[in-house]
Amino acid sequence: MLREILIIVIKKFIHQFASPKTYFYQVDRLYPWLLYISLFIYLFAIIWGLLFTPKDFVQGHSYRIIYFHVPASFVAQSLYAAMAISSAVFLIWRVKLAAYLARSIAPIGAMVTFIALVSGSIWGIPTWGTWWEWDARITSTLILFIMYLGLISLHNSFNNFDKADKLLAYLAIIGFIQIPIIKKSVDWWSSLHQPASITISDKPSIDPSMLYPLFMSMIGFAGLVACLVILSSKVQIYIREKNKSWVKDHV
Amino acid sequence: MESSYLIEARQLAYKINEVKLFSNFSFTLKAGEALHIKGSNGSGKTTLIRILCGITPATKGEILKKDDLVFTYLGHKNALKTYLSIRDNISLLGLSKNEDLKTLLTSLNLQNKLDVIIANLSFGQQKKVALLRIFLSNSDLILLDEPFVGLDSASHNLLCKFLESRLNNGAGLIYTSHISAGIASKDISID
Amino acid sequence: MKLLLPYTNEALKLIKKTRAWIGPILIFILIMVAFPLTVELSSTNLSDAFYPVLFISILLVMMLATEDIFLEDYEDGSLELLLISKKSLTQWVFIKIFIHWLFIGAPISLLGAFFNIGANNDLNSSLMLLPALGISTYIFLILFCFGNSLSLTKGSVLGTLITLPLTLPILVILGKLTSAIIFNINYFEFLILLFGILSIIIFAFPAIISRIIKTHLE
Repeated sequence: MLREILIIVIKKFIHQFASPKTYFYQVDRLYPWLLYISLFIYLFAIIWGLLFTPKDFVQGHSYRIIYFHVPASFVAQSLYAAMAISSAVFLIWRVKLAAYLARSIAPIGAMVTFIALVSGSIWGIPTWGTWWEWDARITSTLILFIMYLGLISLHNSFNNFDKADKLLAYLAIIGFIQIPIIKKSVDWWSSLHQPASITISDKPSIDPSMLYPLFMSMIGFAGLVACLVILSSKVQIYIREKNKSWVKDHV
Repeated sequence: MESSYLIEARQLAYKINEVKLFSNFSFTLKAGEALHIKGSNGSGKTTLIRILCGITPATKGEILKKDDLVFTYLGHKNALKTYLSIRDNISLLGLSKNEDLKTLLTSLNLQNKLDVIIANLSFGQQKKVALLRIFLSNSDLILLDEPFVGLDSASHNLLCKFLESRLNNGAGLIYTSHISAGIASKDISID
Repeated sequence: MKLLLPYTNEALKLIKKTRAWIGPILIFILIMVAFPLTVELSSTNLSDAFYPVLFISILLVMMLATEDIFLEDYEDGSLELLLISKKSLTQWVFIKIFIHWLFIGAPISLLGAFFNIGANNDLNSSLMLLPALGISTYIFLILFCFGNSLSLTKGSVLGTLITLPLTLPILVILGKLTSAIIFNINYFEFLILLFGILSIIIFAFPAIISRIIKTHLE
């Protein structure tokens, strides 16, 4: 799934490679479709998951927060991957739009990681008896959250935008190492977290009746977050290109 | 390109945060020529020199240099370690074995101060030490940004004489200065 | 001999700036000496708490050691000069980090192993700890230099805070290494893991840091 999203993201860059202006107008057209379709999918998945799936054998009803927690967690990591790719595109090919995109993903990523942490905490109370534990996955997700904040503060502390873009790009790329660490951390050392229920090769260990709404909620949530990223990137374009005539005409 | 040309700039432009600092700036410099870049405060003279050095990339335009162009640069910062003595700084720069060093130090009036820490020198004295590097170099092109600030008249004349002799030997000079330098040079304004 | 010249140059600069290299070492000694005093007050076992205190104080001291490591050369113009002279900035960064490790990281590793003998009365574990400390001080140094280069012009606090998250996995590995030492299992695997991490970043990061510094000079 991550691979597909990566491919879509890369293709998007190649298409809108030319200018923030074409990106802006294309994204404007895409936005309503994306918003309503994702909203529909997500609400459908939530309602299905919350009301129409059976109780878990061990956890009872409390497992249902999985429909908030897992999409948030997954999207938080994918967003970082998207930001790292965007930064690499910026550094290699000097595409200004990629820098805008990386900058606009950062606050959204921070917010989504926060949702993942909080929803995880809420899930932890009935399941593990504690709302926080310094185990591998929680700690590395917390590190992800701090890295997002660090990226935002780094970019904001420079007046010269070109310099700020490049530094953000370098930090984003170096920080990418934590994504495999998060994914593999559960396998490498013992923790409260269960090992991944959905892997690429094995049969999923989660019951199908819970799996489908989970997948749908992941897709829906990803779409909604993509809408947020689009909004954020539009704001970035307004800020950075405000001297251009097409922005002045548009506003 | 003639064989005596050193550096040529074509339509250089520079923007900070999408705000234009200067644009359409061009010149050619041949061996033995001096170029005096003029402009009001904040017009981009220092940035232009840094672009010619290669530190800052220009937003638009191109710079053509002679192959294997060797140049020395002295800007606003002295490139001296303020917690080390003059002697240590000279050895860090790799200039201690230079045969002209002793006479130069005497003419700059620094020969008795070799063990003084840079931070304890006056502004003008620090500038003189920074200029040592320029005096002892043998490059094709010399780039100076406000070189005369803080120099007493003896050192000012010394620098002018040195620059003129280098120009006569076929080097090139590009400099900015509010103080009149007394060197025959082409003037170009950045405004 | 000429090849060693940049090394001796940087070594000379660091030695003359005594507070920059003796300072971190003294602070490390201070913390490690103060720690047993606090153990007297509480009821924790000295050898239990020793390793965490050791690693955290190493982390802190490495953070201090890299404070303004590039700032001085940036502000007095030496970095610009280096850039213009077409000498390799990557090599300069590598040498600077190496000299800092040699004068600060290596002594601290030795001292840490020495303190371990005092705390745990065990020469064997100290000998096992020593290479691990040597490697991890180098890794911390490199990471904090990276952070420092990012916020070169805005003060070192921002940079070190940003890279602190990246050092946490190393701390986790060190934690596992200590249990390996105590129970005498798998020690070499963790040591090789640390060495592997170091071997990747020891050459890669100076290149990245030099790019970042070039960005700052623009």
